[in-house]
Amino acid sequence: MSNSSAAVSQPEPSMDLKKGLPLVLSKVLAIARNTFTQLVRMKVFYFLFAFSLILLVAGFFFADTQFEQKLKFFKDISYGFMLLFTTIFAIVGSALLIPRDIEDRTLYTILCKPVTRFEYLLGKYLGVIALVGLSLLFMDLIFSGALYVQEQRLLGPVLEAQAAVPAESAAGVQYATEADSIRKLGLNANTQKGVLSIFLTGAVLAAMAMLLSTFATSTMFTVTVGLCIFIVGYFQSLAREYFLSGSEGTWQKLLSVLVALIFPDFKAFHLSDAAASGELIANGLLLQLVGLALVYVVIYNLVAYLVFADKEV
Amino acid sequence: MSQAESSATTGTVTSAPKAVEIRSLTKVFPLPWKKGKGVLAVDDVDLDVGVGDVYGLIGPNGSGKSTIMKALLGLVNPTSGTTRIFGQDSTEVTSRRDVGYLPENPYFYKHLTGAETVRFYAQLCGLKRRDQSERTEELLELVGLKDAGSRRLAGYSKGMLQRIGLAQALVQRPRLLVLDEPTAGVDPVGSRRIRDLIFNLKKQGISIFLCSHLLEQVQQVCDRVGIIHRGRIVREGAIEDLISIEDQSEVLLRNASPELLESIKALVAAESATELVRIGNPKTTLEHLFLKATGSGRDVEESAEDLSESSDPS
Repeated sequence: MSNSSAAVSQPEPSMDLKKGLPLVLSKVLAIARNTFTQLVRMKVFYFLFAFSLILLVAGFFFADTQFEQKLKFFKDISYGFMLLFTTIFAIVGSALLIPRDIEDRTLYTILCKPVTRFEYLLGKYLGVIALVGLSLLFMDLIFSGALYVQEQRLLGPVLEAQAAVPAESAAGVQYATEADSIRKLGLNANTQKGVLSIFLTGAVLAAMAMLLSTFATSTMFTVTVGLCIFIVGYFQSLAREYFLSGSEGTWQKLLSVLVALIFPDFKAFHLSDAAASGELIANGLLLQLVGLALVYVVIYNLVAYLVFADKEV
Repeated sequence: MSQAESSATTGTVTSAPKAVEIRSLTKVFPLPWKKGKGVLAVDDVDLDVGVGDVYGLIGPNGSGKSTIMKALLGLVNPTSGTTRIFGQDSTEVTSRRDVGYLPENPYFYKHLTGAETVRFYAQLCGLKRRDQSERTEELLELVGLKDAGSRRLAGYSKGMLQRIGLAQALVQRPRLLVLDEPTAGVDPVGSRRIRDLIFNLKKQGISIFLCSHLLEQVQQVCDRVGIIHRGRIVREGAIEDLISIEDQSEVLLRNASPELLESIKALVAAESATELVRIGNPKTTLEHLFLKATGSGRDVEESAEDLSESSDPS
């Protein structure tokens, strides 16, 4: 066997490779697509059958009650389960990915390619977000369809009765008001704003779980701590109000401020309550929430990168 | 192995970059909750792999082989020392354009098929869309998994996973291949196939840095070896130099008659300073015997020729 390296002709890399931004995008999208496929092939979309069944059962509840209660209940149940499934997908989906890649050594083969750790994390995050977004879209389609059917079923008799009486009559005005109330509680832009607020909650939760999984030693840790943070974040506004408005000591105040800074105020993202009650959600408020979610997502991803950048795998 | 050359313009002596250049590499894994204490995994290691060379790092379990490879690939941070790939600091991500890595007992995404796996890594390396399918086909053919390319990895055997691992390592046509136990858990036929592939890649001028427990294979494929023990390189050099017994000579004859052998014995006996150590028939290896008995040897030879043609970079 020859020891001479001089005699060996050195091959030049002959691959025509992407460069610059297209290269970065190609890598991030490849990881995102793979993450999305990985989660989808875990057969997660079976939950849609459960969701459809829940909506079907909810449609029969309060059959004899007033339309306001019926529609509000239906929307409350739908939003509640949308939030539940989104929370599960965002936290569990993110928590599963990095520890499993480390455990299976798949991470070695990815990071020894020309892939930065930031590209890897961003790809993983976008994959989870794609899953959260698509599952929410499917749930929204089922929910919107079911709500539209409910709305039409309630609206039909009212419109028929309204047509039978003069518009200016007392009965005519009452029917018109009733029809407006049904439309307000039915399928409209507000309904979709409620769904968007759930998506924003999912986006923040996924970023937070991704951050946790960069230093967690197990999936269980990430899921448990992620859920705790979600619960603390959900109720932190109550705690803040309680501590800051009362005459409590400096430590309590400091603690509540710290909690407010570290844990996102998930209650603030909860526009679905207003949407379920038929309250008008201002576009400005929605934009503020989008901005707030974006800030949390960017901060969590940056901190996740800082933790992951020097992590030995 | 020095590739030093004089620079006429500057009058200084410069070296052509080596495929791998490790200098004073030390790695201490800190122990949690014990400040200042840690496990010394690699202790002041210097190591070079020349361009086009096959270098084998051998040593017992826990001796630091994999840690050196991981440090070279930026997967662990050296406590001190430097690691370079073709002259570039290997902690820089761009240096990995030139490297393909096959970890020990790799597990890939089980939800992907063989072809999807190779394509995924092709995307990570920035191959253009039109090249991805072409390169995937080429590599599946190269590692003998063309027929299994549409099957999910969940159904692959250990040997098949190892071969798909090799395919992903080669996807961007790297100039350096780092192989951590490339034949671990692979049957003799698969092992032979991987060995032939290494020979073939060497012929193409690809530098290979491997570690293995199969010393016979290391001896067959490597130009140079380093023996590592407790984090230190204890022996290092060209394999022929390391294993040759300097005070003994070997003469191999075919169809020698008993008379000729007797004459040789008599000649040796006449020399007072020379001792006849052994005379007899050379032994084949168990691997050759296995391949012959299972009829796989012929297939392997044929596939090696096929691989040689299909992997020609030109």
